[in-house]
Amino acid sequence: MDLIFVGFLAVLALGIGLYAVSIPQGGRAWWALAGAIVALVIAGALTSQSRTGTICLDLAELAGVALVWSHATREAVAAARAYLYSILPAIACMLIAFALMGSGGSRPGPAVESLVVCLVIVGFALKLGLIPFYFWLPAVAAAAAPMTTALIVSVVDIATFAELAAMRQASPWIFTEHTAVWMVIALLSMFGGALLALAQTELKRMLAFSTIADLGFLLLGLVAGGPAGLSGAWIGALSHALSKVILFGAVGLAEARIGRTVTLDTSGLGARLPLASAAFIVGALSFIGVPPGFGFVGYWRIYSAATQLGGLALIGALLVVAGLDLLCYARAIHRTWLGPPQLAVAGASPWLAPGVLTVLAVVTVLLGCYPSVLTQAVVPGLLAMAQ
Amino acid sequence: MINPVFVPTSILFAGALLQIVLAGTLSRAAKGWLAFLIATIALLAVLAMMPAVIRGDILTATWFNWDTGIPLAYHVDGLSILFMLLGTGMGSAILLYSVGYMEEETEGITRFYVLMLLFIGGFVMLVCAANLLLVYFAWELIGLCSYFLVGFWYKQRAAADGSRKVLIITHLAGYGLLAASMLIYIRTGTFLWTDPAVATAFSSGIALLMIVAAMAKSVMYPLHTWIPEAMNAPTPVSALLHSACYVKAGAYLIARMYSFGPWHVAVGNGLLVIGCVTMLVGVVFAMAQTDLKRLLAFHTVSQLGYVVTGLALGTSLGVAAGLFYAASHALFKGTLFMCAGAVQRATGTRDITKLGGLCSRMPVTTYVWLAAAASIVGVPLTNGFVAKWLLFNAALDANQAVVVVVAWAVSLITTFSFLKATVSVFYGIPSHTLRAEEIHEAAPSVQIGMGITGALCLVFGFAPQLLIQPVIEPAVRSLGFGGQIGMTWLGVLTDFGSIGVTVGAAAGLVLAALFGVGAYHLVRAPVAAHAVAVFSGGEALPDDDTLGAVDFAEMADEAFEPVFALDPDRVLFPIWREIRDGAIRVRWFATAWLERLPWVTALVSAAVLFVAVSLL
Repeated sequence: MDLIFVGFLAVLALGIGLYAVSIPQGGRAWWALAGAIVALVIAGALTSQSRTGTICLDLAELAGVALVWSHATREAVAAARAYLYSILPAIACMLIAFALMGSGGSRPGPAVESLVVCLVIVGFALKLGLIPFYFWLPAVAAAAAPMTTALIVSVVDIATFAELAAMRQASPWIFTEHTAVWMVIALLSMFGGALLALAQTELKRMLAFSTIADLGFLLLGLVAGGPAGLSGAWIGALSHALSKVILFGAVGLAEARIGRTVTLDTSGLGARLPLASAAFIVGALSFIGVPPGFGFVGYWRIYSAATQLGGLALIGALLVVAGLDLLCYARAIHRTWLGPPQLAVAGASPWLAPGVLTVLAVVTVLLGCYPSVLTQAVVPGLLAMAQ
Repeated sequence: MINPVFVPTSILFAGALLQIVLAGTLSRAAKGWLAFLIATIALLAVLAMMPAVIRGDILTATWFNWDTGIPLAYHVDGLSILFMLLGTGMGSAILLYSVGYMEEETEGITRFYVLMLLFIGGFVMLVCAANLLLVYFAWELIGLCSYFLVGFWYKQRAAADGSRKVLIITHLAGYGLLAASMLIYIRTGTFLWTDPAVATAFSSGIALLMIVAAMAKSVMYPLHTWIPEAMNAPTPVSALLHSACYVKAGAYLIARMYSFGPWHVAVGNGLLVIGCVTMLVGVVFAMAQTDLKRLLAFHTVSQLGYVVTGLALGTSLGVAAGLFYAASHALFKGTLFMCAGAVQRATGTRDITKLGGLCSRMPVTTYVWLAAAASIVGVPLTNGFVAKWLLFNAALDANQAVVVVVAWAVSLITTFSFLKATVSVFYGIPSHTLRAEEIHEAAPSVQIGMGITGALCLVFGFAPQLLIQPVIEPAVRSLGFGGQIGMTWLGVLTDFGSIGVTVGAAAGLVLAALFGVGAYHLVRAPVAAHAVAVFSGGEALPDDDTLGAVDFAEMADEAFEPVFALDPDRVLFPIWREIRDGAIRVRWFATAWLERLPWVTALVSAAVLFVAVSLL
């Protein structure tokens, strides 16, 4: 399963790299840091559930901070600082929690258990940008180059989420004994992220907040546990990573061609950039769980686990958030990509970046149409884990 | 070797792929012919399954696991065959029509045919799937196809906005089906609706969730407001969407719910009320339209009210009426849309105030329109008459006389509405604009496409038993209803104690006709020396004035003013604005408080978390 996860992230990293060849995202420093991030994440995933794995992922987070900093604009430096100020305390929280738990993630005495759980929640919430610890993510998305954000959101964050999933397996008591608190964090992120995404006018910030909402969904899958919850969280994390590369990539392509930030007032990009537009639409619909996108494969499992956990009320809450996501993305699609074109595009059209987005969009649909090709390799391992 | 039950879907999906592969090599017309050929082969594959289903067999098969533990399982019974015939049959006719219709399009032809084939394939998959998760999958697949097809001319704001409304309303309501499927899965451990355990898990709450999803797809009031906005699509899309592959999905789900388990009487009665209200609201809104396609769209709303009412009666005759109505509606509404599209292509407008006198220039289109219009109105010798007749009998049989009164009143208003449309478009004096233009009859493939479906309206009106015995009866039986529908020529029912009703109604009809002819001869006004508009009541108007569709629409506007207040958009849009304003308030709170003091927020949140973790 780890190999599938690593392979998936490696393919995404390759896609990001090819895209960056076509539309430069930064200088040599950018390439060096991006390469380091990918290498550290892969090393961390291959040595997961060990100190080495944790250290690799922490270093990948710090490399992510440096990657944002490398853009050297005032906004990018401020965003990198916000990211750093979140990551450092997060690392500290996790170190203290690990120290209190001891080796093997065993359950400490009642006196320190609350502190450990609190530190784990705060640590992961800061790393993933969950509400109310989300400050760095929208700032990074707005200030950094699109593929920088894609690397952080789709590779680093998803590896961090995988670390959380591994902790769910190694120390289940952290979740099972404190389900209500985790659920509150998950629901807060889902509703807060979805509403804040809906209130944005700039597409990259909107994508950042919708990331937070989706991480809330994935967290709920982990909290619910069981075969459906765990497999839903895992598969959902993969589809999240795939969709976000497509979405940030499409927006980045548009920004590179029109020379300005894409907002809800940028009408008719689809007429000028049909491939980027199609990729964005496919990525968005998959991201919000509309079949036959890959997103649905994770979502139906999470819905099922949520129904088991909280009945009609919880699945109702999830569907309300999914509805908010739909409103948000439908507005983005129709106000930005469709309708009469308003802006001209500059320069010759690159072929590699749209090509990468098209391939990833096709993969999203293919995995949604025939998910067995992936799930039959992943789910049995997760079922064993759940038992 | 693929099991025969998977052949129609496989052909349609493979055909969509073939369109993509051959996109660069085929001409526009060739792409159309290829799509038509694919749909026709799918239709033949469906017809090949019919003998077994008529015998009462159920064709089941499992191909592969779509997802881990989720088999691609099909369950083809009489109900599936009926809707498969609608999808592939109407799909074939509309694709034939599209060959000529879409020839003038300069871009997006491959996209168009790929989506049309996926649309039909998705619908066939929906009505065959035995797995609720795959039912939802197909439900959303056809939703997406319609979304992309309605937004085919995505550079036009109206088309883009229309498709957005389609996506939002139908997808949000579709969550009802998803939630219902999840609840069934949690209670039974299976997504297979064919599993006997589903009957015990099928509660009224689950039924209501499914009905919400079906209401949006089948344009039931108040979830119908997307359909008039979808009129900015190419006409073949409107025809397919209205006749077979979209609005019928909801009717299928409602009918299929009889297979899941028994309904609580309140569910059936609630659905009856929704059906009747939808009939009325749809036709009243139709009266006020001057855009030909919007007028037809509101009639779809009204006609689907008839279908759902029939299904909600909960008797074998009621379900038969609902299903026969669904099939009839597919034929006459598909035909009407194709005629409207031919008129729009020929004249460049679908505004009926700018049309008129097309009968002499487009005679074939006029005759086909007349057949379909007579059918929707319910003129004897058409399938529309048989459908209405069957519904009236079923309602009386179920002691629901109110349904008969409402359906009859709606039928009357439908007649007025189509009289307006028919006279305004095809008869009278052509508008100044049209007089200057050279208008030709539609292309041969367009004429054949709409001609076939128009002719079937008459065939099934004259000999409805051709549809009732091999298709409708097996469909009714597959839902667990017994009894035979003894129907003979012209829709005369030979059992259910309805011979007396039939003879009585026929005698009444003859007497009414004689009375009408007598009254006309007794009080007829002198014939005007020149052409008189139909709504002038026989009074000659000044030479520079005519009465037309606008006058009629204005009259309807005034008369039905209170009903227009029932437009659900007056509620839906404020809800959307409230959500958006709420989101803006949340953003203000986040930026003014949380993001301004991130360290404080983080520390306070951590402290609250610690307390919560300690206490909970």
